[in-house]
Amino acid sequence: MFVPFVAPALIVFTLIVLAPTVFSLWVSFNEWAGAGPMTFAGFANYARMASDPVFVTSFVNTMWTLFGVGAAVFVVSFALTMLLQNMLGRKFIRLVIFFPSLVPGVVVGILWGFLFNADGLVNTVIGGLGVDDPPGWLSQEHMFKIILLGIMWLHTGVYTVILMAAADRIPRDLYEAADLAGATPWQRFRYVTLPLMWDVVSVCIVLWCVQALKIFEFILVFTGTGGLPDRGVWNLALFSYAEAFPTDGTPAFGMAAATGMLILVLAMVFTVLARWVLRRDDVQY
Amino acid sequence: MNAPADTAPPNGAARDGRGRRSRSGFHYLLIPAAWALAVFDLFVVAWMLISSFKTTREVFLDPWGLPSALRWENYVEAWNSANIGEGVLNSMLLVGVSGVATIILAAPAAYALSRFGNRGSSTLTVIFVLGLGVPAQAIFIPLYIAFDRLGLINSLTSLQLIYTGTGLPFAVFLLTAFFRTLPRDIEEAAVIDGASTWYTYSRIMLPLARSGIITVFMLQAIGHWGETFFALMVLQDKHTISLALLEFMKAMQYTGARWSVLFAGLSLVVLPLIVLYVWLGSRIVEGIAAGYGK
Repeated sequence: MFVPFVAPALIVFTLIVLAPTVFSLWVSFNEWAGAGPMTFAGFANYARMASDPVFVTSFVNTMWTLFGVGAAVFVVSFALTMLLQNMLGRKFIRLVIFFPSLVPGVVVGILWGFLFNADGLVNTVIGGLGVDDPPGWLSQEHMFKIILLGIMWLHTGVYTVILMAAADRIPRDLYEAADLAGATPWQRFRYVTLPLMWDVVSVCIVLWCVQALKIFEFILVFTGTGGLPDRGVWNLALFSYAEAFPTDGTPAFGMAAATGMLILVLAMVFTVLARWVLRRDDVQY
Repeated sequence: MNAPADTAPPNGAARDGRGRRSRSGFHYLLIPAAWALAVFDLFVVAWMLISSFKTTREVFLDPWGLPSALRWENYVEAWNSANIGEGVLNSMLLVGVSGVATIILAAPAAYALSRFGNRGSSTLTVIFVLGLGVPAQAIFIPLYIAFDRLGLINSLTSLQLIYTGTGLPFAVFLLTAFFRTLPRDIEEAAVIDGASTWYTYSRIMLPLARSGIITVFMLQAIGHWGETFFALMVLQDKHTISLALLEFMKAMQYTGARWSVLFAGLSLVVLPLIVLYVWLGSRIVEGIAAGYGK
Protein backbone atom coordinates (compact mmCIF):
# COMPACT_ATOMS: atom_id res chain seq x y z
CA MET A 1 0.00 0.00 0.00
CA PHE A 2 3.01 2.28 0.44
CA VAL A 3 3.63 2.85 -3.25
CA PRO A 4 0.20 4.13 -4.37
CA PHE A 5 0.20 6.61 -1.50
CA VAL A 6 3.62 8.05 -2.19
CA ALA A 7 4.12 7.55 -5.92
CA PRO A 8 1.96 10.41 -7.31
CA ALA A 9 3.67 13.00 -5.16
CA LEU A 10 7.07 11.56 -5.88
CA ILE A 11 6.50 11.55 -9.64
CA VAL A 12 5.39 15.19 -9.77
CA PHE A 13 8.20 16.20 -7.42
CA THR A 14 10.72 14.37 -9.62
CA LEU A 15 9.41 15.95 -12.83
CA ILE A 16 9.24 19.51 -11.53
CA VAL A 17 12.11 19.66 -9.04
CA LEU A 18 14.57 16.75 -9.07
CA ALA A 19 15.00 16.10 -12.80
CA PRO A 20 15.29 19.82 -13.69
CA THR A 21 17.96 20.21 -11.00
CA VAL A 22 20.03 17.44 -12.57
CA PHE A 23 19.47 18.79 -16.07
CA SER A 24 20.43 22.29 -14.88
CA LEU A 25 23.73 20.90 -13.70
CA TRP A 26 24.33 19.55 -17.21
CA VAL A 27 23.31 22.82 -18.88
CA SER A 28 25.68 24.72 -16.58
CA PHE A 29 28.60 22.93 -18.25
CA ASN A 30 27.51 24.17 -21.68
CA GLU A 31 27.17 27.30 -23.75
CA TRP A 32 23.61 27.51 -24.92
CA ALA A 33 21.36 30.26 -26.24
CA GLY A 34 18.24 28.15 -25.72
CA ALA A 35 17.64 27.62 -29.40
CA GLY A 36 20.29 25.99 -31.56
CA PRO A 37 23.07 23.68 -30.52
CA MET A 38 24.51 23.26 -27.06
CA THR A 39 28.31 23.33 -26.96
CA PHE A 40 30.13 21.66 -24.12
CA ALA A 41 32.23 24.19 -22.26
CA GLY A 42 33.36 22.38 -19.13
CA PHE A 43 33.77 24.77 -16.23
CA ALA A 44 33.94 27.85 -18.47
CA ASN A 45 30.71 29.33 -17.08
CA TYR A 46 31.92 28.91 -13.52
CA ALA A 47 35.32 30.35 -14.41
CA ARG A 48 33.71 33.36 -16.05
CA MET A 49 31.92 34.26 -12.82
CA ALA A 50 34.98 35.64 -11.07
CA SER A 51 35.89 37.93 -13.96
CA ASP A 52 32.37 39.27 -14.57
CA PRO A 53 31.96 42.48 -12.55
CA VAL A 54 28.16 42.24 -12.65
CA PHE A 55 28.32 38.75 -11.25
CA VAL A 56 30.74 39.82 -8.51
CA THR A 57 28.44 42.67 -7.48
CA SER A 58 25.47 40.30 -7.46
CA PHE A 59 27.40 37.83 -5.34
CA VAL A 60 28.52 40.46 -2.85
CA ASN A 61 24.98 41.82 -2.60
CA THR A 62 23.68 38.32 -1.91
CA MET A 63 26.25 37.89 0.86
CA TRP A 64 25.24 41.22 2.39
CA THR A 65 21.68 40.02 2.45
CA LEU A 66 22.57 36.64 3.92
CA PHE A 67 24.93 37.80 6.67
CA GLY A 68 24.26 41.50 7.16
CA VAL A 69 20.48 41.43 7.10
CA GLY A 70 20.51 37.95 8.66
CA ALA A 71 22.41 39.15 11.72
CA ALA A 72 20.19 42.22 12.05
CA VAL A 73 16.98 40.20 11.70
CA PHE A 74 18.07 37.81 14.43
CA VAL A 75 19.16 40.51 16.85
CA VAL A 76 15.90 42.41 16.39
CA SER A 77 13.76 39.27 16.54
CA PHE A 78 15.45 38.13 19.73
CA ALA A 79 15.09 41.55 21.29
CA LEU A 80 11.41 41.61 20.34
CA THR A 81 10.92 38.07 21.64
CA MET A 82 12.42 38.91 25.01
CA LEU A 83 10.54 42.16 25.14
CA LEU A 84 7.17 40.85 24.10
CA GLN A 85 7.36 37.96 26.58
CA ASN A 86 5.75 40.08 29.22
CA MET A 87 4.28 43.06 27.54
CA LEU A 88 0.76 44.26 27.15
CA GLY A 89 -0.57 43.85 23.61
CA ARG A 90 1.94 41.19 22.62
CA LYS A 91 -0.51 39.14 20.56
CA PHE A 92 -1.58 42.22 18.68
CA ILE A 93 1.95 43.37 17.94
CA ARG A 94 2.94 39.89 16.87
CA LEU A 95 -0.02 39.68 14.51
CA VAL A 96 0.73 43.09 12.99
CA ILE A 97 4.47 42.69 12.47
CA PHE A 98 3.96 39.29 10.87
CA PHE A 99 1.62 40.62 8.20
CA PRO A 100 4.16 42.27 5.83
CA SER A 101 5.81 38.91 5.20
CA LEU A 102 2.53 37.63 3.72
CA VAL A 103 2.15 40.51 1.29
CA PRO A 104 3.61 39.75 -2.17
CA GLY A 105 7.17 41.01 -2.64
CA VAL A 106 6.02 43.00 -5.67
CA VAL A 107 3.63 45.05 -3.57
CA VAL A 108 5.93 45.74 -0.62
CA GLY A 109 8.80 46.47 -3.01
CA ILE A 110 6.77 49.14 -4.80
CA LEU A 111 5.60 50.67 -1.51
CA TRP A 112 9.06 50.63 0.06
CA GLY A 113 10.55 52.22 -3.05
CA PHE A 114 7.86 54.89 -3.08
CA LEU A 115 8.55 55.82 0.56
CA PHE A 116 12.11 56.75 -0.40
CA ASN A 117 11.22 58.51 -3.65
CA ALA A 118 12.56 62.03 -4.11
CA ASP A 119 9.01 63.28 -3.39
CA GLY A 120 8.32 60.33 -1.12
CA LEU A 121 7.05 60.24 2.42
CA VAL A 122 10.44 59.82 4.07
CA ASN A 123 11.64 63.11 2.61
CA THR A 124 8.40 64.85 3.58
CA VAL A 125 8.94 63.72 7.16
CA ILE A 126 12.59 64.72 7.44
CA GLY A 127 11.82 67.92 5.52
CA GLY A 128 9.29 68.72 8.22
CA LEU A 129 12.06 68.14 10.77
CA GLY A 130 14.16 70.77 9.09
CA VAL A 131 16.33 68.72 6.75
CA ASP A 132 16.20 70.63 3.48
CA ASP A 133 18.77 68.62 1.63
CA PRO A 134 17.84 64.95 2.05
CA PRO A 135 20.28 62.33 0.81
CA GLY A 136 19.41 60.77 -2.54
CA TRP A 137 18.04 57.53 -1.08
CA LEU A 138 17.75 55.94 -4.48
CA SER A 139 21.11 57.12 -5.78
CA GLN A 140 23.68 54.49 -6.73
CA GLU A 141 25.43 54.64 -3.40
CA HIS A 142 22.40 54.42 -1.11
CA MET A 143 19.88 52.36 -3.03
CA PHE A 144 21.10 48.93 -2.00
CA LYS A 145 21.24 49.93 1.67
CA ILE A 146 17.62 51.00 1.50
CA ILE A 147 16.75 47.67 -0.13
CA LEU A 148 18.53 45.79 2.68
CA LEU A 149 16.62 47.80 5.26
CA GLY A 150 13.37 46.88 3.50
CA ILE A 151 14.26 43.18 3.42
CA MET A 152 14.96 43.35 7.13
CA TRP A 153 11.63 45.05 7.81
CA LEU A 154 9.83 42.32 5.87
CA HIS A 155 11.37 39.32 7.57
CA THR A 156 11.62 40.36 11.20
CA GLY A 157 8.02 39.39 11.86
CA VAL A 158 8.36 35.77 10.80
CA TYR A 159 11.35 35.07 13.00
CA THR A 160 9.84 36.90 15.93
CA VAL A 161 6.78 34.64 15.64
CA ILE A 162 8.85 31.46 15.54
CA LEU A 163 11.22 32.50 18.34
CA MET A 164 8.33 33.69 20.49
CA ALA A 165 6.61 30.34 20.19
CA ALA A 166 9.81 28.65 21.31
CA ALA A 167 10.28 31.05 24.21
CA ASP A 168 6.71 30.47 25.34
CA ARG A 169 7.37 26.77 25.72
CA ILE A 170 10.10 27.33 28.29
CA PRO A 171 8.61 26.49 31.68
CA ARG A 172 8.30 29.43 34.02
CA ASP A 173 9.74 27.62 37.03
CA LEU A 174 13.14 27.55 35.33
CA TYR A 175 13.14 31.34 35.46
CA GLU A 176 12.00 31.29 39.06
CA ALA A 177 14.88 28.98 39.90
CA ALA A 178 17.28 31.32 38.11
CA ASP A 179 15.87 34.28 40.04
CA LEU A 180 16.29 32.45 43.34
CA ALA A 181 19.90 31.82 42.40
CA GLY A 182 20.28 35.55 41.85
CA ALA A 183 20.76 35.52 38.08
CA THR A 184 20.98 38.82 36.22
CA PRO A 185 18.71 39.34 33.17
CA TRP A 186 21.65 38.63 30.90
CA GLN A 187 22.49 35.42 32.77
CA ARG A 188 18.89 34.27 32.55
CA PHE A 189 18.98 34.84 28.81
CA ARG A 190 22.38 33.22 28.40
CA TYR A 191 21.86 30.16 30.62
CA VAL A 192 18.11 29.51 30.48
CA THR A 193 16.49 31.05 27.40
CA LEU A 194 19.18 30.55 24.78
CA PRO A 195 20.08 26.89 25.49
CA LEU A 196 16.42 25.90 25.46
CA MET A 197 15.78 27.70 22.16
CA TRP A 198 18.93 26.56 20.45
CA ASP A 199 17.27 23.96 18.29
CA VAL A 200 14.67 26.41 17.00
CA VAL A 201 17.37 29.01 16.35
CA SER A 202 19.20 26.60 14.09
CA VAL A 203 15.99 25.82 12.18
CA CYS A 204 15.49 29.58 11.77
CA ILE A 205 18.99 30.05 10.40
CA VAL A 206 18.42 27.32 7.82
CA LEU A 207 15.12 28.92 6.86
CA TRP A 208 16.78 32.31 6.55
CA CYS A 209 19.51 30.97 4.23
CA VAL A 210 16.89 29.56 1.89
CA GLN A 211 14.68 32.67 2.03
CA ALA A 212 17.52 35.16 1.63
CA LEU A 213 18.89 33.41 -1.44
CA LYS A 214 15.61 33.49 -3.30
CA ILE A 215 14.72 37.17 -2.81
CA PHE A 216 13.85 38.41 -6.28
CA GLU A 217 10.77 40.53 -6.84
CA PHE A 218 11.37 42.93 -3.96
CA ILE A 219 14.54 44.13 -5.70
CA LEU A 220 13.06 43.84 -9.19
CA VAL A 221 10.27 46.36 -8.58
CA PHE A 222 12.11 48.62 -6.17
CA THR A 223 13.12 51.29 -8.66
CA GLY A 224 9.62 51.49 -10.06
CA THR A 225 10.45 50.97 -13.72
CA GLY A 226 8.83 47.55 -14.05
CA GLY A 227 11.92 46.22 -15.81
CA LEU A 228 15.31 45.07 -14.53
CA PRO A 229 16.77 47.61 -12.07
CA ASP A 230 20.25 49.09 -12.04
CA ARG A 231 22.91 46.35 -12.05
CA GLY A 232 24.39 47.69 -8.83
CA VAL A 233 21.49 46.25 -6.80
CA TRP A 234 21.22 42.82 -8.44
CA ASN A 235 21.56 39.70 -6.41
CA LEU A 236 22.30 36.22 -7.73
CA ALA A 237 18.64 35.45 -8.39
CA LEU A 238 18.29 38.56 -10.58
CA PHE A 239 21.61 37.85 -12.27
CA SER A 240 20.51 34.34 -13.17
CA TYR A 241 17.19 35.58 -14.55
CA ALA A 242 18.86 38.36 -16.57
CA GLU A 243 21.33 35.92 -18.10
CA ALA A 244 18.49 33.71 -19.32
CA PHE A 245 16.13 36.48 -20.45
CA PRO A 246 18.27 39.53 -21.21
CA THR A 247 16.64 42.73 -22.41
CA ASP A 248 19.25 42.90 -25.15
CA GLY A 249 21.77 40.37 -26.42
CA THR A 250 21.57 36.58 -26.62
CA PRO A 251 20.33 34.44 -23.75
CA ALA A 252 23.10 32.65 -21.86
CA PHE A 253 21.30 29.60 -20.52
CA GLY A 254 24.57 27.98 -19.48
CA MET A 255 25.53 30.89 -17.26
CA ALA A 256 21.99 31.19 -15.89
CA ALA A 257 22.03 27.50 -14.95
CA ALA A 258 25.52 27.77 -13.45
CA THR A 259 24.35 30.65 -11.26
CA GLY A 260 21.34 28.57 -10.22
CA MET A 261 23.65 25.74 -9.28
CA LEU A 262 25.79 28.12 -7.26
CA ILE A 263 22.72 29.34 -5.35
CA LEU A 264 21.74 25.72 -4.67
CA VAL A 265 25.24 24.87 -3.42
CA LEU A 266 25.27 27.99 -1.23
CA ALA A 267 21.90 27.01 0.27
CA MET A 268 23.16 23.51 1.03
CA VAL A 269 26.57 24.55 2.38
CA PHE A 270 25.04 27.14 4.70
CA THR A 271 22.34 24.73 5.82
CA VAL A 272 24.86 22.02 6.68
CA LEU A 273 27.20 24.56 8.29
CA ALA A 274 24.42 26.06 10.38
CA ARG A 275 23.24 22.66 11.59
CA TRP A 276 26.80 21.56 12.30
CA VAL A 277 28.05 24.67 14.06
CA LEU A 278 24.89 24.97 16.10
CA ARG A 279 24.75 21.27 16.87
CA ARG A 280 23.89 20.73 20.51
CA ASP A 281 22.36 17.88 22.39
CA ASP A 282 18.68 18.54 22.41
CA VAL A 283 17.72 19.66 25.89
CA GLN A 284 14.62 17.94 27.13
CA TYR A 285 12.34 19.95 29.33
CA MET B 1 7.39 48.39 44.22
CA ASN B 2 4.35 47.48 42.25
CA ALA B 3 4.77 45.96 38.83
CA PRO B 4 3.80 48.48 36.15
CA ALA B 5 0.68 47.72 34.18
CA ASP B 6 2.53 46.49 31.13
CA THR B 7 4.19 43.61 32.92
CA ALA B 8 1.01 41.53 33.18
CA PRO B 9 2.22 38.04 32.25
CA PRO B 10 0.60 36.84 29.04
CA ASN B 11 -0.77 33.58 30.41
CA GLY B 12 -1.70 34.85 33.80
CA ALA B 13 1.06 32.81 35.40
CA ALA B 14 1.26 34.98 38.48
CA ARG B 15 3.59 37.88 39.06
CA ASP B 16 6.76 35.95 39.38
CA GLY B 17 9.17 38.79 39.77
CA ARG B 18 10.77 38.24 36.44
CA GLY B 19 8.98 41.18 34.93
CA ARG B 20 10.30 43.47 37.62
CA ARG B 21 13.87 42.25 37.35
CA SER B 22 14.13 42.81 33.62
CA ARG B 23 13.00 46.42 33.82
CA SER B 24 15.96 48.47 32.72
CA GLY B 25 16.57 51.57 30.66
CA PHE B 26 17.12 49.36 27.67
CA HIS B 27 13.72 47.81 28.15
CA TYR B 28 11.91 51.14 28.27
CA LEU B 29 13.67 52.13 25.08
CA LEU B 30 12.55 48.99 23.31
CA ILE B 31 8.85 49.00 24.18
CA PRO B 32 8.17 52.15 22.14
CA ALA B 33 10.32 50.66 19.38
CA ALA B 34 8.15 47.55 19.20
CA TRP B 35 5.00 49.66 19.08
CA ALA B 36 6.59 51.94 16.51
CA LEU B 37 7.25 48.98 14.25
CA ALA B 38 3.65 47.79 14.52
CA VAL B 39 2.28 51.30 14.01
CA PHE B 40 4.52 51.75 10.98
CA ASP B 41 3.17 48.56 9.39
CA LEU B 42 -0.42 49.64 9.98
CA PHE B 43 0.39 53.11 8.70
CA VAL B 44 1.84 51.83 5.42
CA VAL B 45 -1.31 49.80 4.71
CA ALA B 46 -3.61 52.66 5.69
CA TRP B 47 -1.63 55.16 3.63
CA MET B 48 -1.79 52.92 0.58
CA LEU B 49 -5.57 52.55 0.93
CA ILE B 50 -6.11 56.27 1.45
CA SER B 51 -3.84 57.23 -1.45
CA SER B 52 -5.69 54.87 -3.76
CA PHE B 53 -8.70 57.22 -3.57
CA LYS B 54 -6.75 60.40 -4.38
CA THR B 55 -5.58 61.90 -7.63
CA THR B 56 -1.89 61.43 -8.35
CA ARG B 57 -1.46 65.18 -7.84
CA GLU B 58 -2.93 64.91 -4.36
CA VAL B 59 -0.65 61.96 -3.54
CA PHE B 60 2.36 64.19 -4.00
CA LEU B 61 1.06 67.59 -2.93
CA ASP B 62 -0.88 66.45 0.10
CA PRO B 63 0.57 63.07 1.06
CA TRP B 64 -0.75 63.21 4.65
CA GLY B 65 -4.24 64.48 3.93
CA LEU B 66 -7.47 62.72 3.13
CA PRO B 67 -8.66 62.55 -0.45
CA SER B 68 -10.80 65.47 -1.59
CA ALA B 69 -13.27 62.95 -3.05
CA LEU B 70 -13.41 59.17 -3.07
CA ARG B 71 -12.19 58.36 -6.56
CA TRP B 72 -13.54 54.90 -7.18
CA GLU B 73 -12.60 55.40 -10.81
CA ASN B 74 -9.00 54.65 -9.80
CA TYR B 75 -10.17 51.15 -8.98
CA VAL B 76 -12.12 50.83 -12.20
CA GLU B 77 -9.07 51.93 -14.15
CA ALA B 78 -6.75 49.58 -12.26
CA TRP B 79 -9.17 46.68 -12.70
CA ASN B 80 -9.67 47.25 -16.42
CA SER B 81 -6.92 49.13 -18.19
CA ALA B 82 -4.11 48.07 -15.83
CA ASN B 83 -5.18 44.43 -16.19
CA ILE B 84 -5.35 43.95 -12.43
CA GLY B 85 -8.77 42.40 -12.91
CA GLU B 86 -7.44 39.70 -15.18
CA GLY B 87 -4.48 39.33 -12.84
CA VAL B 88 -6.64 38.84 -9.76
CA LEU B 89 -8.82 36.22 -11.50
CA ASN B 90 -5.82 34.35 -12.94
CA SER B 91 -3.92 34.44 -9.67
CA MET B 92 -6.97 33.17 -7.78
CA LEU B 93 -7.33 30.33 -10.25
CA LEU B 94 -3.63 29.56 -9.97
CA VAL B 95 -3.42 29.47 -6.20
CA GLY B 96 -6.73 27.62 -5.90
CA VAL B 97 -5.97 24.84 -8.36
CA SER B 98 -2.32 24.38 -7.41
CA GLY B 99 -3.17 24.52 -3.71
CA VAL B 100 -5.75 21.74 -4.04
CA ALA B 101 -3.46 19.70 -6.29
CA THR B 102 -0.62 20.00 -3.80
CA ILE B 103 -2.84 18.72 -0.99
CA ILE B 104 -4.21 15.84 -3.08
CA LEU B 105 -0.66 14.69 -3.80
CA ALA B 106 1.01 15.54 -0.50
CA ALA B 107 -1.57 14.32 2.03
CA PRO B 108 -1.47 10.58 1.16
CA ALA B 109 2.31 10.72 0.77
CA ALA B 110 2.72 12.41 4.13
CA TYR B 111 0.35 9.89 5.75
CA ALA B 112 2.30 6.95 4.32
CA LEU B 113 5.65 8.45 5.23
CA SER B 114 4.59 9.11 8.80
CA ARG B 115 2.77 5.84 9.43
CA PHE B 116 3.65 2.88 7.24
CA GLY B 117 7.17 2.54 8.59
CA ASN B 118 8.69 1.23 5.37
CA ARG B 119 12.43 0.97 5.08
CA GLY B 120 12.60 3.77 2.52
CA SER B 121 10.30 6.21 4.28
CA SER B 122 12.92 8.17 6.19
CA THR B 123 15.09 8.49 3.08
CA LEU B 124 12.09 9.64 1.06
CA THR B 125 11.09 12.14 3.71
CA VAL B 126 14.60 13.57 3.62
CA ILE B 127 14.47 13.82 -0.19
CA PHE B 128 11.20 15.74 -0.05
CA VAL B 129 12.51 18.03 2.69
CA LEU B 130 15.72 18.69 0.74
CA GLY B 131 13.42 20.07 -1.94
CA LEU B 132 12.73 22.98 0.43
CA GLY B 133 16.25 24.19 -0.25
CA VAL B 134 16.10 24.03 -4.05
CA PRO B 135 15.82 27.60 -5.34
CA ALA B 136 13.79 28.47 -8.43
CA GLN B 137 16.99 29.48 -10.23
CA ALA B 138 18.29 25.92 -10.03
CA ILE B 139 15.34 24.50 -12.00
CA PHE B 140 13.97 27.25 -14.25
CA ILE B 141 16.07 26.64 -17.37
CA PRO B 142 15.01 23.00 -17.88
CA LEU B 143 11.40 23.86 -17.00
CA TYR B 144 11.39 26.68 -19.54
CA ILE B 145 12.82 24.40 -22.24
CA ALA B 146 10.40 21.60 -21.44
CA PHE B 147 7.29 23.81 -21.47
CA ASP B 148 8.54 25.52 -24.60
CA ARG B 149 8.88 22.17 -26.42
CA LEU B 150 5.47 21.11 -25.18
CA GLY B 151 3.94 24.33 -26.45
CA LEU B 152 2.94 25.22 -22.91
CA ILE B 153 4.58 28.62 -22.75
CA ASN B 154 2.04 31.35 -22.02
CA SER B 155 -0.27 28.79 -20.43
CA LEU B 156 -1.61 28.84 -16.89
CA THR B 157 -1.39 25.04 -16.83
CA SER B 158 2.41 25.16 -16.79
CA LEU B 159 2.39 27.58 -13.89
CA GLN B 160 -0.06 25.36 -12.03
CA LEU B 161 2.26 22.38 -12.52
CA ILE B 162 5.25 24.38 -11.32
CA TYR B 163 3.46 25.72 -8.25
CA THR B 164 2.18 22.26 -7.40
CA GLY B 165 5.58 20.60 -7.76
CA THR B 166 7.56 23.26 -5.92
CA GLY B 167 4.93 23.37 -3.18
CA LEU B 168 5.19 19.65 -2.42
CA PRO B 169 8.28 19.73 -0.14
CA PHE B 170 6.70 22.18 2.28
CA ALA B 171 3.33 20.41 2.22
CA VAL B 172 4.84 16.96 2.77
CA PHE B 173 7.09 18.34 5.51
CA LEU B 174 4.27 20.02 7.41
CA LEU B 175 1.69 17.28 6.94
CA THR B 176 4.10 14.50 7.92
CA ALA B 177 4.71 16.35 11.15
CA PHE B 178 0.97 16.82 11.56
CA PHE B 179 0.03 13.18 11.01
CA ARG B 180 2.65 12.18 13.60
CA THR B 181 0.77 14.14 16.22
CA LEU B 182 -2.47 12.21 15.63
CA PRO B 183 -3.14 9.30 18.01
CA ARG B 184 -2.57 5.81 16.67
CA ASP B 185 -5.33 3.96 18.52
CA ILE B 186 -8.03 5.23 16.17
CA GLU B 187 -6.35 3.57 13.22
CA GLU B 188 -5.79 0.39 15.19
CA ALA B 189 -9.47 0.30 16.03
CA ALA B 190 -10.30 0.79 12.35
CA VAL B 191 -8.00 -2.05 11.33
CA ILE B 192 -9.58 -4.37 13.89
CA ASP B 193 -12.98 -3.44 12.46
CA GLY B 194 -11.67 -4.56 9.07
CA ALA B 195 -11.30 -1.18 7.38
CA SER B 196 -8.97 -1.06 4.38
CA THR B 197 -5.92 1.19 4.46
CA TRP B 198 -7.49 3.53 1.93
CA TYR B 199 -10.72 3.68 3.91
CA THR B 200 -8.82 4.39 7.13
CA TYR B 201 -6.89 7.15 5.42
CA SER B 202 -9.68 8.85 3.53
CA ARG B 203 -12.51 8.47 6.01
CA ILE B 204 -10.75 8.67 9.35
CA MET B 205 -7.30 10.21 9.19
CA LEU B 206 -7.89 12.82 6.52
CA PRO B 207 -10.81 14.46 8.36
CA LEU B 208 -8.70 14.45 11.53
CA ALA B 209 -5.91 16.23 9.69
CA ARG B 210 -8.27 18.90 8.44
CA SER B 211 -6.77 21.81 10.34
CA GLY B 212 -3.27 20.89 9.17
CA ILE B 213 -4.50 20.68 5.60
CA ILE B 214 -6.20 24.06 5.79
CA THR B 215 -3.02 25.60 7.19
CA VAL B 216 -0.94 24.14 4.34
CA PHE B 217 -3.45 25.30 1.75
CA MET B 218 -3.56 28.82 3.16
CA LEU B 219 0.21 29.14 3.34
CA GLN B 220 0.62 27.82 -0.21
CA ALA B 221 -2.05 30.14 -1.55
CA ILE B 222 -0.56 33.18 0.17
CA GLY B 223 2.94 32.21 -0.93
CA HIS B 224 1.94 31.90 -4.59
CA TRP B 225 -0.47 34.84 -4.68
CA GLY B 226 2.19 37.28 -5.88
CA GLU B 227 4.73 34.80 -7.27
CA THR B 228 6.80 36.58 -9.90
CA PHE B 229 9.85 34.61 -11.02
CA PHE B 230 8.12 31.66 -12.68
CA ALA B 231 5.21 33.81 -13.86
CA LEU B 232 7.62 36.09 -15.72
CA MET B 233 9.26 33.06 -17.25
CA VAL B 234 6.11 31.28 -18.40
CA LEU B 235 3.53 33.92 -19.31
CA GLN B 236 3.74 36.32 -22.22
CA ASP B 237 0.47 38.17 -22.75
CA LYS B 238 -1.48 36.74 -19.82
CA HIS B 239 -1.40 38.46 -16.45
CA THR B 240 -1.11 37.44 -12.87
CA ILE B 241 -1.31 40.18 -10.27
CA SER B 242 2.46 40.63 -10.20
CA LEU B 243 2.77 40.71 -13.99
CA ALA B 244 -0.05 43.25 -14.27
CA LEU B 245 1.66 45.49 -11.70
CA LEU B 246 5.03 45.20 -13.45
CA GLU B 247 3.47 46.01 -16.79
CA PHE B 248 1.62 48.98 -15.38
CA MET B 249 4.86 50.36 -13.92
CA LYS B 250 6.53 49.93 -17.28
CA ALA B 251 3.67 51.77 -18.97
CA MET B 252 4.00 54.63 -16.47
CA GLN B 253 7.43 55.35 -17.97
CA TYR B 254 5.66 56.48 -21.13
CA THR B 255 2.18 57.52 -20.12
CA GLY B 256 3.27 59.50 -17.10
CA ALA B 257 2.95 58.66 -13.44
CA ARG B 258 -0.46 57.38 -12.40
CA TRP B 259 0.49 56.48 -8.87
CA SER B 260 -3.02 56.66 -7.45
CA VAL B 261 -4.15 54.03 -9.97
CA LEU B 262 -1.13 51.92 -9.07
CA PHE B 263 -2.07 52.24 -5.39
CA ALA B 264 -5.60 51.14 -6.24
CA GLY B 265 -4.05 48.12 -7.95
CA LEU B 266 -1.87 47.37 -4.93
CA SER B 267 -4.93 47.67 -2.70
CA LEU B 268 -6.81 45.16 -4.85
CA VAL B 269 -3.92 42.73 -4.29
CA VAL B 270 -3.63 43.35 -0.56
CA LEU B 271 -7.32 43.58 0.40
CA PRO B 272 -8.04 39.83 -0.01
CA LEU B 273 -5.02 39.16 2.20
CA ILE B 274 -6.27 41.57 4.84
CA VAL B 275 -9.69 39.91 4.86
CA LEU B 276 -8.07 36.49 5.11
CA TYR B 277 -5.72 37.67 7.83
CA VAL B 278 -8.41 39.23 9.96
CA TRP B 279 -10.37 36.01 9.62
CA LEU B 280 -7.60 33.43 9.99
CA GLY B 281 -4.59 35.46 11.14
CA SER B 282 -3.98 33.81 14.50
CA ARG B 283 -4.32 30.42 12.89
CA ILE B 284 -1.74 31.26 10.21
CA VAL B 285 0.64 32.67 12.82
CA GLU B 286 0.18 29.64 15.09
CA GLY B 287 0.70 27.36 12.10
CA ILE B 288 4.02 28.99 11.25
CA ALA B 289 5.10 28.93 14.86
CA ALA B 290 4.17 25.25 15.26
CA GLY B 291 5.59 24.19 11.92
CA TYR B 292 9.07 25.51 12.52
CA GLY B 293 9.17 25.55 16.27
CA LYS B 294 8.96 21.79 16.80
